[in-house]
Amino acid sequence: MGDLAIKVEHVSKKYCKSLKRSMMHGITDIARNSLGFSSHSGVLRKEEFWALNDISFELKRGETLGIIGPNGSGKTTLLKMLNGIFWPDKGKITVCGRVGALIQVGAGFHPMLTGRENIYLNAAILGMSKNEVDKKFDSIIDFANIGDFIDSPVKFYSSGMFVRLGFAVAVHCRPDILLIDEILSVGDQGFQIKCFRRMNELLDSGTTVILVSHSMIAIERVCKKTMHLSNGRLKDEGETMEVIRKYIGNIESCNSEPTSTIDKENPIIFTKGNIKRTNSQIDLELEFQTTISIKNPNIVAILWKGDVRVCNIVSGDTLSSLRSGRYKVKFNVGNLSLSYGHYHVSVRLRDRLNPLCTYGINGRIVDLFVKDNSEGMNGINLGENGIIIAESDVNIESI
Amino acid sequence: MNLVQSKETMVTYEPDNSIKKGYLSIFKEIFNELKSNQWLCYQLFKRDFLTLYKQSFFGIVWVFIFPLVSVGTFLILKGSGIFTFGNIQVPYPLYAILGIAFWQLFATGLIATSNSLVKAGPMIVKINFSKKSLVIASFGQAIVSFIIQIVFLGILFIYYQHMPSIIILFLPVLVLPIILFSLGLGFILSLLNGIFRDIGNALSLLMTFCMLLTPVLYAKPVSGTFADLTNYNILYYLICVPRNILLMGIMNSKSDWTGFFISVVLSLVFFTSCLVIFHLTETRIAERV
Ligand SMILES: Nc1ncnc2c1ncn2[C@@H]1O[C@H](COP(=O)(O)OP(=O)(O)OP(=O)(O)O)[C@@H](O)[C@H]1O
Ligand SMILES: [Mg+2]
Repeated sequence: MGDLAIKVEHVSKKYCKSLKRSMMHGITDIARNSLGFSSHSGVLRKEEFWALNDISFELKRGETLGIIGPNGSGKTTLLKMLNGIFWPDKGKITVCGRVGALIQVGAGFHPMLTGRENIYLNAAILGMSKNEVDKKFDSIIDFANIGDFIDSPVKFYSSGMFVRLGFAVAVHCRPDILLIDEILSVGDQGFQIKCFRRMNELLDSGTTVILVSHSMIAIERVCKKTMHLSNGRLKDEGETMEVIRKYIGNIESCNSEPTSTIDKENPIIFTKGNIKRTNSQIDLELEFQTTISIKNPNIVAILWKGDVRVCNIVSGDTLSSLRSGRYKVKFNVGNLSLSYGHYHVSVRLRDRLNPLCTYGINGRIVDLFVKDNSEGMNGINLGENGIIIAESDVNIESI
Repeated sequence: MNLVQSKETMVTYEPDNSIKKGYLSIFKEIFNELKSNQWLCYQLFKRDFLTLYKQSFFGIVWVFIFPLVSVGTFLILKGSGIFTFGNIQVPYPLYAILGIAFWQLFATGLIATSNSLVKAGPMIVKINFSKKSLVIASFGQAIVSFIIQIVFLGILFIYYQHMPSIIILFLPVLVLPIILFSLGLGFILSLLNGIFRDIGNALSLLMTFCMLLTPVLYAKPVSGTFADLTNYNILYYLICVPRNILLMGIMNSKSDWTGFFISVVLSLVFFTSCLVIFHLTETRIAERV
């Protein structure tokens, strides 16, 4: 098969919504299969639905694929099928090489057994041989790094320790294909860094990785290609940044509807945003419309990376009062170094002397992708309340 | 270096996979799976064994308690004379405890295997591993108890100064049919239990009933409907006949011999078909466990 790792052809998977029906369907399936009949899995019976519908993709050795999508869109189901836990009801999956699945870390642990005993057990369940475990045993304990607790029953572990041990075993089974489902978030910071480092090691040695996560930062960090699932269908597929941008845009457009029309409640709205980055310079252009006049306007734009606030870009006390109309405001941030990743900007307009009057809140007016790490000094100040404020030139014009 | 490591198998998942491939390849698949998962099987067995008595004060002593209590009850019944045990030529405790040991091998093995998939449910939907090994491993506990009880019986043999037949050296062979029968049934019931939890509940009840129907604690009745029933009871041939051979060195009658051999062949066939059915349908069960 050359360098092909995974091939998924028109795969569908159905589930049954009702427990009682599921029992009946189950017994029919078993009866049919054991008598050597086909189970006619391609058709929906009563109360069944397609949890995955006609998914196709291919992955080569050493490639990484991210899977994103809202809750219940079928991400875990897809991973489980790639692992062979469930079989497709339609279509065909071909997998070349040893698969290691981290659907849930420590799923094979027995709470009564000690960490040490569980390492052997879990390793065996994950498909390692005795020799392999014997060889890697110390390295696993090292990686987990949970100290004396290794000889206590696993049921006395904190959830982070549990994950540490589970992940330690899993990454040591040297799979050709690693499937990871939303698990890295439980460990502490140090452990997460360790995990990413380990994952990069695996990637370098030619492991194929599929990562399911709701953390866009994690996906961006690991995956070149990304798939967006929605309601069991392949909604989008391609370069990670692009897919994520559309995916987030999607969420935003459903969440921020109220501010899109101007009325009594929302006298001011931001209508358009534009951001440009050249080296360490950032040009931010915002357009807004107001039906009221504001005495001491203060525009606050906040640059976010995921849910981390990077800095505020504020107009300060430079703006004079505004009458109703349309305006375009330009910020020019001179020196702001950003690291690789996905950013967005939120804006609002306040009355400088009366901070409680806040208008035109827009949670995500514009997105920014940074593909290279910029160098140079940060031209930032610590403002009041310890908020980081980027130095910027502001200018405003009526349009 | 990596190339050597990853010249691995290619797996395809497709609906009705096995049916398309044909029955002969099924046997090969099953055989390979069992062979390559021996260590897993051992680890799962070890898990069951270690955890069973871990948070218990008496620990392994529990293994002895069940036969002692059952035999004790029957001894009291015997003394009171309300129950006839038939004609038994050997000391009754030997007869009963050996019978119970065999019975327990069958019954606890069957109950453990039937519950194995359900008990491991959370694991089954998160990791892909050999379910057959899981079922087989869960039988291990019954075998360990059996061995302990046999050792315990050795002491009783000395106490009653009764020599068992030389056939006792072939004990592993004698118990094989009952193990296969129990395991085969366990394979099927574990699947069904995954869908209908009723199986697990009904089983414990049913086991007590079956034990009373089978002449484990009393001698085989000579006449009447009960005797006819026993003639068609496969458990009689797989459990009581070997027990009687061990204790008395002879078969009661010629019909026992034929019955025994037919039952052995039947249990072999039964085991194989159950294994095949399990193999064909195990992937359909995970999402419903
Ligand atoms: N065993 C099952 N039986 C019936 N329905 C199921 C079963 N497992 C999952 N589903 C349904 O299938 C759909 C897809 O579930 P899945 O777990 O794949 O979602 P997901 O994308 O992983 O979501 P999340 O982001 O919350 O983890 C959901 O609607 C879920 O309710
Ligand atoms: Mg999920």
